[in-house]
Amino acid sequence: MRTILIKLVRLVIVVWIITLFSFTLIKLTGGNNDLVSKIIPFGSEQQKDILREDLGLQDPFFTQYFRWLGDFLTGDFGNIYTPNPQPVSETLAEALPVSLELMIYAQVLALVIAIPLGVATAYRNGTKFDRSTNTIAFGLLALPNFVVALLLAIYVGAKWGWLPTQSNLIPFPLNPIDNWQYMLMPTIALALGQIAIYMRLLRSDMIATLQEDFTTTAKAKGIPTRRVLFRHALRPSSLTLLTVAGLNVGALIGGAVVVERIFNLPGIGSRLTEAILAQQYVAVQSYVALIAIFYILINFFVDVLYTVLDPRIRHARAAA
Amino acid sequence: MPEQPPSPGDDLVQALVDDEIREDVAPDEATIHTAAVEAGPEIERLKERKGKGLGFSAWLAIGWLAMIVILGFAAPILPIPDPVADATPALARQGPSADHIMGLDGSGRDVFSRVIWGMRNSLFIGAVSVLIGLVVGGSLGVISGYFKGKLGGFIGASLDVLLAFPPLILALSIVTFLGRTVPNVTLSLAIVSIPVLARIARASTLSWSEREFVLAARAQGAKHFRIMRREILPNVLPAMFSIALLGIAVVIVAEGGLAIIGAGVKPDVTTWGNIIVSGQGDLRDASHIVLFPSFCIFFTVLALNFLGDVVRAKFDVRESSL
Repeated sequence: MRTILIKLVRLVIVVWIITLFSFTLIKLTGGNNDLVSKIIPFGSEQQKDILREDLGLQDPFFTQYFRWLGDFLTGDFGNIYTPNPQPVSETLAEALPVSLELMIYAQVLALVIAIPLGVATAYRNGTKFDRSTNTIAFGLLALPNFVVALLLAIYVGAKWGWLPTQSNLIPFPLNPIDNWQYMLMPTIALALGQIAIYMRLLRSDMIATLQEDFTTTAKAKGIPTRRVLFRHALRPSSLTLLTVAGLNVGALIGGAVVVERIFNLPGIGSRLTEAILAQQYVAVQSYVALIAIFYILINFFVDVLYTVLDPRIRHARAAA
Repeated sequence: MPEQPPSPGDDLVQALVDDEIREDVAPDEATIHTAAVEAGPEIERLKERKGKGLGFSAWLAIGWLAMIVILGFAAPILPIPDPVADATPALARQGPSADHIMGLDGSGRDVFSRVIWGMRNSLFIGAVSVLIGLVVGGSLGVISGYFKGKLGGFIGASLDVLLAFPPLILALSIVTFLGRTVPNVTLSLAIVSIPVLARIARASTLSWSEREFVLAARAQGAKHFRIMRREILPNVLPAMFSIALLGIAVVIVAEGGLAIIGAGVKPDVTTWGNIIVSGQGDLRDASHIVLFPSFCIFFTVLALNFLGDVVRAKFDVRESSL
């Protein structure tokens, strides 16, 4: 319990630093006038004055910060000041489910493919199958997700026309099949690199486990190979895999932003990109802070989960 | 049953896991990538034939990298059209031909010339930001691993705050707010790589600083700085060098990602990422614009990953002493 409490205190401190950092970012753009004329380049002087007033730019730094923080904590993430203004919080309601859906699909797909492959290559360690699978995985590690996304968009989407590339994304509950059609390519683009990472890490742990006495015992007892691999050896081998899968969310978030952009998926990544291109700094600031806090919370959650689920894990690893 | 020698990558993963338990930090994206690259069987064959040179694949990787570095450096004196100014709009989107071996882009600019200039800028961004990360992060890591007390804790905690951001998000926020120039993109990617390299230097220093020869140096009255420089640094460097090669690969990919989300260098500077962005509208009719720079990124990252792995296998002091 005490460790969790310490982690919680640390979490609050880091989140606070993130908000301070995100708020400071907007001050890097130059002076106040600069900022205002970047956000509404075609606004009249009067409109600019209103915006200046709205953002409270004349106040001292920390007054501004705490007002921003107060707004942020109460769910007011600022506005997008395009010709038809929109609060950032409104865009979140539509965009967040799309991004989460994409990340969950990618993670599930990656694990579903990587686990059997990792087990099989470890079991057949050194064979042609192992070497060729690993060579392909090594190649996948060098294939950035945006290259995969573009290759899919070029061939599967544009040239062969098998799957739609333009996003009239239909929410999953309305029509799962259509939803999956739009989600399939982004998911593959995001998952492919993760498959290679998870497979190789699991393989390396699994090889070590297969050398252990209890595996030999299990084999000697005549337990079928498949059962030995998946029931006896997989669990003790999956520690690195689970840690990495839990904490690789940073890669997933960054990847999702890029992939959403390429496939025009209306998720947080696309919103963030639109805000960057339209110089909507207030919105960018909020998106960055929100994404970073989301990431921190996931990390915290995974970490606590380990401590709660199996304290022996930490002790065993600490002693090793 | 004889004990299986640890597979490549295991000791790095182990060092990081130890550090993680000690300091309660999470591994980051780049470290995970590194561990995955080094976890495979590719290098085992190389180890079996230790002392017999690098092997064909490694030379192929070196050859590719040497080629792009030379072409990148020589870009201004090569007889190629200007990557931005020389445009033939009438021939826009034309596919590869004898005159333009990689075809023309949407504004009628020569893609081959743009890819060469892209090499120059993308490699510059990759190499310089990792170099900054190596110097700053390496020093911070060695210092915080050597002085385990308050100083180490403070440096470690500050780096953890940087790691609290998803790397691409941190980089894009810095570039967006500072401005989309080459120095800013380089700086942002350097800031992202500092904590990663620092953690590796730190994990490695922690294990080396407990060895007898460090104790011996201390007993002889050596100053802290001397011990760090003469005893620890030479042992930490090979691992760092290997990670740095992988880091350049990660940064080149990150530059492409930043360009795609509109937070890279402005389009008037030719980088691999920007060439890809310029071709995104023509995927169906002129996919060559996107494909050629993508292949370059792929082969470069592949070569850097492979060489990083080879360097680690070749310079691993502990393993070669066995």
